[in-house]
Amino acid sequence: MQLDLINFTKRFGDTTVIENMSLSVHSGEMIALLGPSGCGKSTTLFAICGIHRIDEGQLMFGGKDVAHLPSQARNVGVVFQNYALYPHMTVAENIVFPLKVQKMNRTDREAMVRKYAELVRIDALLDRRPAQLSGGQQQRVALARALVRQPDFLLLDEPLANLDAKLRLEMRSEIRRLQQETGLTAILVTHDQVEAMSMCDRIALMNGGRIVQYDTPTAMYERPETAFVAGFLGNPPISFLSGSGLGLSEAQVAQYGVRPESFGPQFGSTLSGRVTFVETQGREDLFDVRLTTGEILRSIQPAGSGIRLADTVNWGVAHDKLLRFDQNGQRI
Amino acid sequence: MRRINWLGLAFLSPALVMVTLFFLLPVVLTGFFAFTNMSTATGVMGGDYLLNTSTLRALADQGLPKETLAKLEAGGYRVDEAGLAALAAATSPATADELAQLHAGAEFSDRRDMERALKDLRANAIRNTRDRKAATELFKRSILNERFSEEAAFRAALSETGTRPELSDQITEAAFTGWVWTTDNVKLLFALPSTLRYAANTLLYVTLTLAFNVGFGLFLAITTFYLPKGQGALFRAIWFLPRILPPVLYVLMWRWFTWDTGFLSTVSGYLGMSPKNWMLDTSYHAWTAVVLINGFVGASMGMIIFSSAIRAIPTSMLHASEVDGASRWQQVRWIIVPQLAWPILFITCYQTLSLLTSFEYILLATDGGPGRSTEVWSLAAYHTALSNYGGNLEYGLGASFALVLVVIGIGASLIYFRLFNFKRLITKPLIEG
Repeated sequence: MQLDLINFTKRFGDTTVIENMSLSVHSGEMIALLGPSGCGKSTTLFAICGIHRIDEGQLMFGGKDVAHLPSQARNVGVVFQNYALYPHMTVAENIVFPLKVQKMNRTDREAMVRKYAELVRIDALLDRRPAQLSGGQQQRVALARALVRQPDFLLLDEPLANLDAKLRLEMRSEIRRLQQETGLTAILVTHDQVEAMSMCDRIALMNGGRIVQYDTPTAMYERPETAFVAGFLGNPPISFLSGSGLGLSEAQVAQYGVRPESFGPQFGSTLSGRVTFVETQGREDLFDVRLTTGEILRSIQPAGSGIRLADTVNWGVAHDKLLRFDQNGQRI
Repeated sequence: MRRINWLGLAFLSPALVMVTLFFLLPVVLTGFFAFTNMSTATGVMGGDYLLNTSTLRALADQGLPKETLAKLEAGGYRVDEAGLAALAAATSPATADELAQLHAGAEFSDRRDMERALKDLRANAIRNTRDRKAATELFKRSILNERFSEEAAFRAALSETGTRPELSDQITEAAFTGWVWTTDNVKLLFALPSTLRYAANTLLYVTLTLAFNVGFGLFLAITTFYLPKGQGALFRAIWFLPRILPPVLYVLMWRWFTWDTGFLSTVSGYLGMSPKNWMLDTSYHAWTAVVLINGFVGASMGMIIFSSAIRAIPTSMLHASEVDGASRWQQVRWIIVPQLAWPILFITCYQTLSLLTSFEYILLATDGGPGRSTEVWSLAAYHTALSNYGGNLEYGLGASFALVLVVIGIGASLIYFRLFNFKRLITKPLIEG
């Protein structure tokens, strides 16, 4: 189902958190609301599911305005950051809750619980209570509870934030698998660009209550519209520096962005600098190189280069990958 | 490391003194009084030995032989120094001397014999009947109504009446006016039909008030939770007022409210009903008033505890239930109330104990009336021991009433401690010492 948020404004008291925001999500698509904390991404999600009132604007679910419907009437499935499982109910009772409040009959209910428990692979844990489950298992229960009512949209609020690194990787692909198997339209709220890029079809990058760019992960990475987008996406992050450091001088360009993979010995040896930081990541090494101008460029290189801290290196940049930004941070 | 520190104990000592004086001592004293027959009549100090008509009645009930009773009651007449001196003062020394010559040391069991002795004096016969009767009384030496401070003196006087020695123990015991150790209170407690009535009243009172307290507290907590923050706090503050109002004022308001010239009667008068005392009209009225008066005060406590417990539920859980499609009622029924299980249990236990022992609002409102229909156990204890209508305050019996409450309270506390796993709560410090 298509979701359209049109000219959405949200205020808390006198503070306007989000102003005139518009967002469209196509049917079957999974998008990410990505941004630093306080950018309004969770507020947007809560407005979509009805927990927060929409002060101005329209929210269309499949062309129907639901902005004034309470959350009970919106048919969305939500996975909360802390999962919000009901501690006094068993796993099965947690999952069946949305069906129970709809007064679905018992046999249908049980069949649905079994189906979704199998889908998220927790069918062996149905009699346990949330406190007896690991974080990943709780996450799966929360997913099953969100999916069991066959919602029009699946909304995920920082679903991976409370998991350890290994589980996070596992659940990342798990959530994407479930979304693709069910064909649901999904919105993922996250501050983690890796999650957003790896899981979603499109990313809406938010800052200060506005969407600064809404595009596919690849497009956004390669063609960021602003310096903020360029700086937010990419790990290790992009380096910004003035033209003089690169030996370039172009009109209108206030700063250049160089991604770590665009700086290294394979691109020539025009820039000289000292290695001020080395981080070994196993497959790759990460270097900080201080140029003679004092500016720092990051570089990521295959492991085993033998370069050590305080070595002097002469490397070059891939000029075709250079990102140019004007004074206002807009890319040229 | 040494765990006992005298400085620590010194700091603790005021608390220890308070605990001993105000918590421990009353319990010990209750146990002590419960096994005495202390009352206003016996006093709490020592006592004298005194036979009076009511003692004799009690002895008659105990089955003392009639002739012994008659002896004790009638007493006898003895011509002794005291009597002669009194006679000398009343008539003339010559009369006394003559009587002394003829009958010194004589004893007469019958009044007529004594009268005859006075009439038959040769020189100084007392011929006037009224004077003779008055003179006779001067020699009356009855044990009745005579107060002995020593047991030995009483026993001696008793043997002089000619009472059979084997009965003297029983009579001495009955004659003692001080308090004695006894288990009669407990026996009496279980024998009196009114005791059962008080127990039933207490059960009714605790059950109804508890249900009202918990139910209404829960209702207030949930409804104010759904109000905007400021309004909710205002409502809770209003419902908390009775608790900070002096109980006497609070109950006085209720009495004004329900008087036959009060608010209810005035309003119902407009509807053509004749005025009546809405609190004391029938026992149903009285019970309703008692439960409401206690309930509105008690509910505020549940309200505060439940309110904070509801606010301890993560908001995301409430949001989740809303998104899951639960209506307000379903949210209350399936999410909020189940998570209040422990606070509800706690309030129930706590209120049971405090309701069992509290009677101040009933005392002020109905004083157990009409009749004895709202007389609960603790109020009965108070009435018996401290505010008896008859004027004889039966400390011993009252204490035995109270002792039953102490036993129930301790028993219930032990059960609750177990229920709440109190040991685990208090023996596992969160910070290592």
